Amino acid sequence: MESYLNASIKEVITKFPKVGEILGEYQIGCVPCNVGSCLLKDVVEIHNLSEEEELELMARIAGEIYPDQHIEIPRIGRKEKIGSKELKYSPPIKKLVDEHVLIKRWIAFIPQVFREFNMDSVEDRELIQEGVNFIRSYADRFHHAKEEDILFKYFDENSDILRTMLEDHRNGRSHAKAILEALEKKDRQGVVEHLMAYQELLTGHIKKEDEILYPWMDRGLSVKQVGELHSKFVEADNLSDRNGIERCEKFVQEVEKKFRKEEST
Amino acid sequence: MSEFGGCPGSRAMDFRKSEAQEEAPAAKVQSQLQQWPIQLHLISPVASYYQGADVLLTADCVAYALGGFHNDYLKGKSIAIACPKLDQGQDVYVEKIKSWFENAKINTLTVLIMQVPCCMGLVQLAKQVLANSNRKVPVKAVVVGLQGQILSEEWI
Repeated sequence: MESYLNASIKEVITKFPKVGEILGEYQIGCVPCNVGSCLLKDVVEIHNLSEEEELELMARIAGEIYPDQHIEIPRIGRKEKIGSKELKYSPPIKKLVDEHVLIKRWIAFIPQVFREFNMDSVEDRELIQEGVNFIRSYADRFHHAKEEDILFKYFDENSDILRTMLEDHRNGRSHAKAILEALEKKDRQGVVEHLMAYQELLTGHIKKEDEILYPWMDRGLSVKQVGELHSKFVEADNLSDRNGIERCEKFVQEVEKKFRKEEST
Repeated sequence: MSEFGGCPGSRAMDFRKSEAQEEAPAAKVQSQLQQWPIQLHLISPVASYYQGADVLLTADCVAYALGGFHNDYLKGKSIAIACPKLDQGQDVYVEKIKSWFENAKINTLTVLIMQVPCCMGLVQLAKQVLANSNRKVPVKAVVVGLQGQILSEEWI
């Protein structure tokens, strides 16, 4: 069915003339059109039928195209209307939102990491060290640097909202440093406290950025600035340490594998 | 068939206003066009005015429907126009858009279309190039209503 949804209406009606008659019954008059280049799915969508009518129409078309088969009736996605609650980001901002996903995947496991953390275990201590490496290499050098060195320069860095974000970045760095210092001193409580604080800080920070800061920035950026940001982010990524980023991605996969496995046993 | 039937792309509709509804004539609008030619078959995608530019790819009908076309959308941009319903040789269009992305290294592409379903073909061409190009460029789709209202504006 999918292939016919993406076929031109002329092609569909030529092959299945009855489809033209069915469309006509729903006031969709494609038969006399001598161009017929609209796709079937766009034709159905633009006429904005009620859900019931659309389902009925699609079922009848499917029945005509596949008379002896049981076909799952496809739903035609409606275009989003202006004012929709769903957030739509520009491509460079979307990139930052996507980078948050990897950070969230790591910090989601922090409570389990510190609950089971044994200071005398070499493996556990290496896990903490690798977690701090992730914070420094991925969250800070790879992600926050794009914000601080590129994105924030397009806005007033003295504004309250940006000063708050920059303060969050500084606090995140302090926690990373404190985790390693506590690890060095074999101070379990210190490691746990700063890991928890980092998780809490970044969870709130990412939520503020995804839901408030980035949409606000997107509204203020011109088309030209969006293009510039995109190019600068690509350039920054090309200059980044690819092996270091892959190491961070692998770290998150391994944490998920280790703790999901423990959850299921 | 009722008066509401038929293809929305070619259905006759009358938007004339009464004299009382018409606004006073605005001041003369300065053209923001900064190049020639503009038809997609006629342009060279690597012409100087496309290099690193913010490019507007506009369906033919848009400029007639959108009252603020010059100042709101064309200003500061390079342009090409096309009709995804009636133009022949659209494989050439794909190559030209790709050349904008890869050779002219354009900054952004804004695709302006009418709300009629046949116009979606122009967005599909841009999406096809975006998916297959070695160099990615931010692409924005703007849908214009038959009486010049902006129905949606979003990054692809």
